[in-house]
Amino acid sequence: MIYSVVGHYSLILGLCAGLILTFFSIQNFKNSNQLDTKILSFSFLQLFFVLISFLALIISFVISDFSNETVFNNSHTTKPLFYKISGTWGNHEGSLLLWLLVLTLFIFIFLLRTKNQPIKYKILTLGFQQVIIIGFFLFLIQTSNPFNYLFPVPDEGLGLNPILQDPALAIHPPILYLGYVGSSIIFSSALAATTLKMVSTSWAVHIKKWVLISWIFLTLGILLGSIWAYYELGWGGFWFWDPVENVSLMPWLALTTLLHCILVLERKEILTSWVIILSIATFTLSMCGTFLVRSGILNSVHTFANDPERGLFILIFLFALIFLSLFIFFFFHQTTKDNSSNFFWLSKETSILVNNWFMMYFLSVVLIGTVYPIFLDVISSQKISVGPPFYHKLIAPFLIPFLFAMAIGPRLKWIRSDLKDKIYLISLLTISILISFFIVKNFNTNILINTILISSALYLFFITLRDFFLKKYKNFAQNTAHFGFSLLILSILFNNLFSSEIITNLKVGETYDNSKTKIVFESINQKTEKNYKSIIANFNITNAEGINNNLSPELRIYNQPNITTSEADIKTTLMRDKFIVINLVQNQDYFNVRYQVKPFMLWIWLSVIMISLGGLVSFLQRRI
Amino acid sequence: MKIFKNFIIIFLLLILNNVYANENSERNEITKNLRCLICQGQSVYDSDSDFANSMKILVDQKLDEGLSENEIYVYFKEKYGDWILYDPGLNKNTYLLWLLPIFIFLFGGAIIVKSFILKK
Repeated sequence: MIYSVVGHYSLILGLCAGLILTFFSIQNFKNSNQLDTKILSFSFLQLFFVLISFLALIISFVISDFSNETVFNNSHTTKPLFYKISGTWGNHEGSLLLWLLVLTLFIFIFLLRTKNQPIKYKILTLGFQQVIIIGFFLFLIQTSNPFNYLFPVPDEGLGLNPILQDPALAIHPPILYLGYVGSSIIFSSALAATTLKMVSTSWAVHIKKWVLISWIFLTLGILLGSIWAYYELGWGGFWFWDPVENVSLMPWLALTTLLHCILVLERKEILTSWVIILSIATFTLSMCGTFLVRSGILNSVHTFANDPERGLFILIFLFALIFLSLFIFFFFHQTTKDNSSNFFWLSKETSILVNNWFMMYFLSVVLIGTVYPIFLDVISSQKISVGPPFYHKLIAPFLIPFLFAMAIGPRLKWIRSDLKDKIYLISLLTISILISFFIVKNFNTNILINTILISSALYLFFITLRDFFLKKYKNFAQNTAHFGFSLLILSILFNNLFSSEIITNLKVGETYDNSKTKIVFESINQKTEKNYKSIIANFNITNAEGINNNLSPELRIYNQPNITTSEADIKTTLMRDKFIVINLVQNQDYFNVRYQVKPFMLWIWLSVIMISLGGLVSFLQRRI
Repeated sequence: MKIFKNFIIIFLLLILNNVYANENSERNEITKNLRCLICQGQSVYDSDSDFANSMKILVDQKLDEGLSENEIYVYFKEKYGDWILYDPGLNKNTYLLWLLPIFIFLFGGAIIVKSFILKK
């Protein structure tokens, strides 16, 4: 009770700090010889208030204070402490509070760490960031206050959705938000730089670090979500082209484009407008994502807690931000007249443009695929589904030239280049095609497209691998990321082609045998935990090579809320995952058993980690 | 070149290791493209709800009756509407959906060629 009051009032104080900050920054902006110390202290104060408010919410969750509506809706006394804490951001109100915390944290670090930039620029960035922060404060206090009071105080809470009670999902939102919200700094800073007409190479060098931070976190955040979906949603896939997943992919695509584009701007002043548009787009897409997820427009596995009033607020806020940025872009932005865009068609600049071109295409596929059904429904009330086949058909063919460009591009020089050691490039290409043909030949899948796809990914794989040995530490970050990407595509392709599965119904003691795989359903155990009962099934699986595995998938019957979840048991090895999951069949004494062998699963995760590692190396690197 | 040779060997081993034939593979292909109507964003293949299970049986039946994959899609589409198909075919409702990204791609290419390549 007391914590809710503290939390609520610190929120209001935080909002006040925001208003005062805005006032000070306007004053300071007019006569700016040096940064007013008050600005830094109030920015800290704002962060402090939000932090207090956030801690108050965590404490309310830990002590199960059910006079707090958010706690009542999302917690339960029998829940383990870890999930009580993670439950804080496992719901709409709490996750928005986390947004706000990250927003204020980032601007504070920005003010502290930005040294060699003009004072006016710092103040203006703060100003734009405050617009976003104040917007979120109002949104939080108006429509989704995490500290609503309940009376009479209930004895017990409703509990957290069991599928959210998971270690990966406990840290997924904070990491993802660091990425999402990190893009707000890029947004504010791009607007400030545009207004002051200082979009230049030095600005690019400065903002690149922030782009990298958001990018690394966003990549890892998406990875965590995907890992969670893989083992918790219980059907062995890792990417479903679900709207909520798409919504996190869109800012990632925009951010990746921006990251590459900044490489050009770092060296010479071209593409300025494009960099600004991308900076604006990235944050706008993050906001769009929040809008789509929170408003409940989407039909998705991930949508929870939604309310039209909230949707409307975010929509209005979103339009205000877009309008503001367009206004600034058109009134203040000046394109550089001298246009030093003299580069030969075969050069690093061109290859980065090609990257941007394809990335924008992928972005438009994902964006249109996600929102088109909504618009069609509104306009003609026809309901259509846009699922994996759509994305595969539109993305896979374009991936081929994209991968080749990724292999060749980084080898080119700035301004003008020609291809060196052509013999090597061509022989590697031949090898890649041959290997892929051998791999694909044995399967009656679509030979042509798969061969070409695998060869292009293999090509990138070989070229980047060779560069590790040849170039040593030159371009190490880029090479790591590109190598990781080739590994990712290869793993996904092999995973798709070589996965096999057995779906069958078994009773305890029964055996399934199809001459290659033998599944023995040995026994069943029951266990009672604090907040769920579990049924553990023990299987013994023997494959064609005679390798024996014991796997024990689980069914958990949670008491609060009363939901049954299937916990897959996964045996991970370097080359393949063995994945087994059981389900209850109503009114039957047998279980539905789904056993999958999924090659290269581990490599999908490792390659994404490698990609973000590339980002980290680049972040830590000093510019030469 | 030694590394590459090793890679070739590894890949060949993989091939030998993984020649599993999928039972029900045709049914799985089809049910992956059908939406489970009572679930939140799951395909019939992924879901274990009663609805999905009866759909799986229905797909098996239709396959036994000798219907082709496309005929089965048409059958479900007539019964439940476009919502059930994850692959929105090209028709008057979806021209924009399929063609707009392609158009954006061409447009982007045209901009790059015009403003950077031809400018010399």
